[in-house]
Amino acid sequence: MASLLDHSAGGQTVGYSFSQSAAAPVKQHGFYPYTDNGGSTLGITGSDFAILAGDTRSTSGYNINSRMVPKVFKIGGDEETGEGAHIILSVVGFAADGNALKERLDSVVKMYKYQHGKSMSVSACAQRLSTILYGKRFFPYYVTAILAGLDEEGKGALYSYDPVGSYEREQCRAAGAAASLIMPFLDNQVNFKNQYIPGSGEGHALQAKKAEPLPRDHVQELVRDAFTSAVERHIEVGDHLQMLIATRDGIEEVFHPLKKD
Amino acid sequence: MTSIGTGYDLSNSVFSPDGRNFQVEYAVKAVENGGTAVGIRCKDGVVLAVEKIITSKLLKPGANKRIATVDRHVGIVSAGLVPDGRHFVSRARDEASSWRGVYKGPIPTSALANRLGGYVQAYTLYSSVRPFGTTAIVAGWDSEAELAVDGQVGTGPSSGSGGKVEGAKGGGPGLYMIEPSGLYWVSSTSASASSPIYHPNPTILPGGYYGAATGKGRQAAKAELEKLDLSSGNLSLADGVKEAARIIYVAHEDSKDKEFELEMSWISSVDGPTKGRHEEVPKELREEAEKAAKRALEGEDEEEEEKMEE
Amino acid sequence: MNHFPEAWGRPRDDVYGAYDHSYLQTTGPKAHTSSPAVTGTSVLGVKFNGGVVLATDNLASYGSLARFTDVKRLRVFGSNAIVGFGGDVSDMQYIDRLLESIDIRENYSHHGNMLNAKNLHTYLSKVFYKRRSEFNPLWNHILVAGYDGEGEPFLSSADLLGTTFSAPHLATGFGAHLAVPILRRLFPEEMPLEEVSKEAAIEALKQCLKVLYYRDARSMDKYSIAVITKEGIDIKENEVIEGTELGFC
Repeated sequence: MASLLDHSAGGQTVGYSFSQSAAAPVKQHGFYPYTDNGGSTLGITGSDFAILAGDTRSTSGYNINSRMVPKVFKIGGDEETGEGAHIILSVVGFAADGNALKERLDSVVKMYKYQHGKSMSVSACAQRLSTILYGKRFFPYYVTAILAGLDEEGKGALYSYDPVGSYEREQCRAAGAAASLIMPFLDNQVNFKNQYIPGSGEGHALQAKKAEPLPRDHVQELVRDAFTSAVERHIEVGDHLQMLIATRDGIEEVFHPLKKD
Repeated sequence: MTSIGTGYDLSNSVFSPDGRNFQVEYAVKAVENGGTAVGIRCKDGVVLAVEKIITSKLLKPGANKRIATVDRHVGIVSAGLVPDGRHFVSRARDEASSWRGVYKGPIPTSALANRLGGYVQAYTLYSSVRPFGTTAIVAGWDSEAELAVDGQVGTGPSSGSGGKVEGAKGGGPGLYMIEPSGLYWVSSTSASASSPIYHPNPTILPGGYYGAATGKGRQAAKAELEKLDLSSGNLSLADGVKEAARIIYVAHEDSKDKEFELEMSWISSVDGPTKGRHEEVPKELREEAEKAAKRALEGEDEEEEEKMEE
Repeated sequence: MNHFPEAWGRPRDDVYGAYDHSYLQTTGPKAHTSSPAVTGTSVLGVKFNGGVVLATDNLASYGSLARFTDVKRLRVFGSNAIVGFGGDVSDMQYIDRLLESIDIRENYSHHGNMLNAKNLHTYLSKVFYKRRSEFNPLWNHILVAGYDGEGEPFLSSADLLGTTFSAPHLATGFGAHLAVPILRRLFPEEMPLEEVSKEAAIEALKQCLKVLYYRDARSMDKYSIAVITKEGIDIKENEVIEGTELGFC
């Protein structure tokens, strides 16, 4: 008799569907708010210019969403043409966050000009971008950003970020899907890592080649080489190469074709 | 004007000993100074017209519209204080939007009039507010077609439970007038003004006025409206437009010294020219109606002159 | 098996396992939609010389059940823009009401509804992004078709995460796998839009719909197609895929 009444044998209790079982595990969100849209960006500075470049492919998984979705933007310029801007930003990672971040920084730079009557310096903008990113420390913008322009002395300035706002000024930086392919190339070709002055000594006495700012046409060639190589080895990179070049005359935009396979 | 003052006209929430609310009566005076507005309910649509007195030559002709659209199928024109009229329209739009939020379809004109009447009446109750200095004419066309629910994705069953009834028709024209007291008239046939329930009797059309007039020239306008025999339901919308224009011109006779612009709008049935939407009367049509109105007036003058000669 | 009344009519625990109470809990994080319920499959779109064409089938599925078979998934906004919806149908209805209220409000202004397809796409992508940021997504992937501010044909996509992209031809869901390759072969991206005729674009979409009907198990042969040109919107909502060879099954 006891066994007949013992309906909870096996540790299971019969309950109404709406009666809360103490054993119910906490339901996790079934919604993941991020995606990776692939692509790669890179930035290099020279003595009087800064270049930001990115491919224009947008992907989701193995699909190519579109072959023309730019990742590099003019900040603080005209809404349609970008005219009047002197700062450039590249964002790679989750494109929707990238757009939201771009739009926020753009309005911050504009408000700065409206309120102070002068353009925001690149260093100030760099600090502000860090604050914006860190402001969403616990629900981050899933992007790797690079900010560039000319500093107060007219030299090329480039700041690279992690998704939560850690940043530093650098000579060059690659980010995104093919960052690990491009960055070593940049180390060698821009910062002259592992390059030594021939005949300067033996063993430890061998002198490293000193990094110096490179001329603009040379840097543009490096950028193109970096991307043509990345396209060969990374499926998420391709279609077109977009380059924004900040100089004392403003911002130039250049497009080059990349392989579409 | 027997009992002016004596303190009972200072507060909204106080009656005079003979049962009057003076604040409301003063609000009516504000309406009586405003440009004439008329509405005509025709068999296949409704027309609104307003005499817009030009207060400054610096104002752009045709700008500063006085007839407003609410949702898609209702038009509102008011006489009296213009800003009060604008607030009234704003409230009407909110009501129409909230109705859609609940019922997923357009608000019946009668229900809108009912809610607006309640709103205006509330401004006669409290000492902290003053009544509306406007009388508003609310015109609408409740669609006679089978209306899709907002966001509806399918066509629904064609027969059986929930299926369609052949030839069933509802809807029709509605014309209401809401005064500073909150007073408005709804014909007894549309029994429950606030009910969205489909009325099974297709012969009962939404109600209110056959013709409505307010503002400075309302007496002359009403006299003209009464001549039209609107209750017989024979006047077409096209003729209604012409009559509305003429009536505004007739009503303007008393304040001939002032220039005015005629603004007109209409709402037709679903198979009429506006497809059940409230729209401005096209420029060509309005100008034609204005020409006819002027001709009719000149004709009248001549007749009078002839009589005088006799 | 037990015989207590509270167990009557319920799936047997020994067969189906105990009821998963995690689906109905009052504590823990507030649960919003974590998966769609009734869904529509692919939306297809192609730009052509002077306009855009958009197509969807008329099916709304409930899992693998073909639940509703006369569902209109192409929605007209104002007089010159169309939205094609994939994904959750109830969220589509919500967005449709939202668009309806915007159209009414825009028409209150003297010049009427001036919003073009590009404006609409920007707006909707921000709605999607806001909702995903609140962890309360609108579970849709949409295509917006019409014209941009310059009067050029416009076709762009937005999804539940707020991701946006634009291309001469687009497809959501299964169509991204099956239709896009066909469209890219027929109308290569470097081909000028002037060389794509309206008829060719319509024919291509019909072909894609047929391929999807053959291979997408959540599709059907009744479809809607909307052609948007400067003359206006021509929408047909009760079309049938012709020339299918399914007689053998």
